[in-house]
Amino acid sequence: MQYRHVQTIDGQGALRGIAVDAHGHGELYAACDAEIKVFDAAGRLARRWPTARPAQSVAVAGDGAVWAGELGQIEVFDDSGKLRDTWRDAGLLRRVTAIGFTRDSVLAGDSADRAIRRFDRRGRFLNDIGKDNPLGGLLIPNGVVDFGVDAEDTVYAANPGKHRVERYAPGGELLGHIGRFDGIDPAGFTGCCNPTNVAIRDAIYTTEKAGPRVKAYDFSGGLLAVIATDPFDANCKNMSIAVDSRHRVYVVDTVKLAILVFERVSA
Amino acid sequence: MSDDPTRRDLFAAVARGTVLAVLGGGAIFLVRKANGQVVWQVDASRCINSRLGEVGVEACNLCTTECVVALSAVRAVNEYSQCGRCNICPAYFNIASAVNGLGQPSEKLCPRDAIARRPIGKVDPEDPANNFYEYVIDEEKCDGCGKCVMQCKEPLGLGSITLRVRYDRCLNCNRCSISTACPQKALMQLPVSRALEPVGIERPE
Repeated sequence: MQYRHVQTIDGQGALRGIAVDAHGHGELYAACDAEIKVFDAAGRLARRWPTARPAQSVAVAGDGAVWAGELGQIEVFDDSGKLRDTWRDAGLLRRVTAIGFTRDSVLAGDSADRAIRRFDRRGRFLNDIGKDNPLGGLLIPNGVVDFGVDAEDTVYAANPGKHRVERYAPGGELLGHIGRFDGIDPAGFTGCCNPTNVAIRDAIYTTEKAGPRVKAYDFSGGLLAVIATDPFDANCKNMSIAVDSRHRVYVVDTVKLAILVFERVSA
Repeated sequence: MSDDPTRRDLFAAVARGTVLAVLGGGAIFLVRKANGQVVWQVDASRCINSRLGEVGVEACNLCTTECVVALSAVRAVNEYSQCGRCNICPAYFNIASAVNGLGQPSEKLCPRDAIARRPIGKVDPEDPANNFYEYVIDEEKCDGCGKCVMQCKEPLGLGSITLRVRYDRCLNCNRCSISTACPQKALMQLPVSRALEPVGIERPE
């Protein structure tokens, strides 16, 4: 499988997390310094609104609500940026670097505690994911917890210190993992700690740092494609990734402050 | 004839003042140096091995080759509070070497084997990746070649290892031969009060 770089979207400032819209309209949401930016399919800034605290991550729920992960809280907006709700928890939501959804719960990656928090839809804490191990959490030397959720509610968490993507049940049970260290074979993850970020769609999509690399794996861990290496600044790290329903892959270049878009090349 | 100073007089006065200030400053500096009050120090933000943004280049080993002290007065120091304690440390392993049966790189990076890797706490026999590791630099072996520093810095690592002048070895030369050779001007002389902690950093419990 091959991909080509088809578009570069100017982030117009700092970029942390990105997410695609829920209904395949081609809109892209970005968590920026202290705001959410929405880019249309052509890469133009369509709208923006402020967040109360610096935005670390963003996710779009099935109902179109936009969830912004922040320091100490999550803010929930409607698609126009009107604030609907705020979940505050100085203990469980210290630095929310990823948000995701299962059918009946909301997941928040708290990098300050190296864990994924699971809440019911009303915000009641249910359980942690990724903490029940001898290390007391995910190994994230780069300070970002990132994960994706598949259609069966399986949670795929990047565990860069172990060079793995780990699979968890929503209740926190470790189901298995893909990935291994290898500094030569591109099927492996290199460096001290990769992959740093992950997205789930029809495959497991990952980003790595030093040198920056985007890859796709099947769900049994077989390498499907090295999507890109070259277009990124060599100093990039914690490159957020999102994949839309047309399998377009969006990746943040954290140095150039841009979102690079890749499309699958037909066989 | 006017008593007002001419422009030439003014320039001459300024020049005399400047010369006196430089001589005075130099004299004060020399006195402080003679009293051991100034020291050489590596500026990590200038050293190419630790400076951010320099990736994919060979480590500079001028601190090893130029220092008049045996091995070098400059050694690599791991600041444990900044260390990720990773399973696979790019400063310890040659991460470009083939993977061995343990799933680790088969070669070490340090040409003098000066870094020791020890698990923190009890090793999980089922999964060695389920551990933190501490990386301890043996300064008796280290010659300050900078390879580990280059591999430790961001984005590959966390930048916990830097090169530092060890004051129990440094002869505090007037013209440090490393500073003369360093193209980055990364060796600088500072008053002791502004120098980094001259003694070794405490190891974790």
